Amino acid sequence: MEFSFVDRILELEPGVRALGLKHVTPHDEFLRQGENGEPALLSCIVGEALGQLGAWCVMAANDFRRRPVAGVVGEVGLLAEAMLGDTVLLDTRIDSLTEEAVVYHAVATVRGRTIATLTDSLGPFLPMEEFSDPDQMRAQFGWIHRPGRPSDLPEGMPIRDVDIPTVCRHTTFDRILSHDSGKSIAAVKSIPILAPFLADHFARKPVFPMSLLLESQLQLARRLLGPTSRPTRIRNVKMNDFVLPGSSVVATATVKDRTADRAWVALRGEVDGRRVSLAEAEFVHEAPPA
Amino acid sequence: MSENDAAQTIYPEVAKIVADVLGIEESKVTLTSRLIQDLGAESIDFLDLIFRLERQFNVKIPRGQIEKEVRGALQSEDFEKAGVVTDKGREVLRSYLAEVPAEHFKPGLKVHEIPTLFTVETFCKLVLRAKARQQEEAKAGSVAPQA
Repeated sequence: MEFSFVDRILELEPGVRALGLKHVTPHDEFLRQGENGEPALLSCIVGEALGQLGAWCVMAANDFRRRPVAGVVGEVGLLAEAMLGDTVLLDTRIDSLTEEAVVYHAVATVRGRTIATLTDSLGPFLPMEEFSDPDQMRAQFGWIHRPGRPSDLPEGMPIRDVDIPTVCRHTTFDRILSHDSGKSIAAVKSIPILAPFLADHFARKPVFPMSLLLESQLQLARRLLGPTSRPTRIRNVKMNDFVLPGSSVVATATVKDRTADRAWVALRGEVDGRRVSLAEAEFVHEAPPA
Repeated sequence: MSENDAAQTIYPEVAKIVADVLGIEESKVTLTSRLIQDLGAESIDFLDLIFRLERQFNVKIPRGQIEKEVRGALQSEDFEKAGVVTDKGREVLRSYLAEVPAEHFKPGLKVHEIPTLFTVETFCKLVLRAKARQQEEAKAGSVAPQA
């Protein structure tokens, strides 16, 4: 379960809404040093968890015959990080559901504070059989669907002596192809079949997750804008095609608009010259710590 | 106002959305651009485009609406045979997609190739028809039933 981020479903109305949780633990593969130097979950993994909860919600409604895949997200709000030891409460609500696609919005909170939002997320449906064994999905659903309430634990003290890399190796690029300082940057990332999460995303058709591609591109844009920049919003996110293992993704980040305190960056991913992803991200520049 | 003139009035907004959806400069989009051939649109782009048009113009465009409108009153078997659009089918298609040059309606056109005909103007008209349909429905709904 390298790429399953809903640890438990607490409330479920199939096809309507779901409430779930994700614990951030040292077992997480997708941790990096957060803004304050402590271990934090990659922001896009929180978005992935919200999307996965939405997927469980609609798959439970269609008896696991069809699954939604990453398509379009109108806007992702990145408000704060989920730190090691946090429990993220995931709340996903379905706006519309047809044979063709699901549209939903979602919010992630930690101790009542909103850390991420998804608005106007559209996931086209594809046959489950192509991606995963429906029986296995039903079994996994059975393990995590345990209605109840989240544990009410005190906040406690952060643990700092966990060996966490500064960046997550799954979201770094292999090589910078070009860099026009302050304007644009291009880099390549090849997808190895050895990547552990591919077995889980998806079992019958391994593809590189949109959330990891997006996180990689945000980090690339940050390299362009400088270390004091922080992504706050991503809009018009779209995955045009699956990125298969063995592919090399060429990602570009181009500054579209910039003021003293913020910048909008266009993000694009291509495989063999063909567009696979698009997004626009807003970054704010923060004063370095005194 | 003709449908063509009406399409011109919403074209600037539609062009901007098309450019955003495809990640291209707005200057590359014209009223007659074909979405697939000229602008490189793919299937997810059509879903995205419809979704954004619905939000921008506050209309509901049911999935499969284009196909439904294209076929009009024709039965499925009159419209296509073994995935190929019949002569009668091409006639109704040409009439529905009046903005598309006639030479694009080639004999042997396959049903799955129909989206290759769609231009930016096709989507302007789709929005206008959805608006008109909604107005008619609202009007019908506001008429009190006769006693």
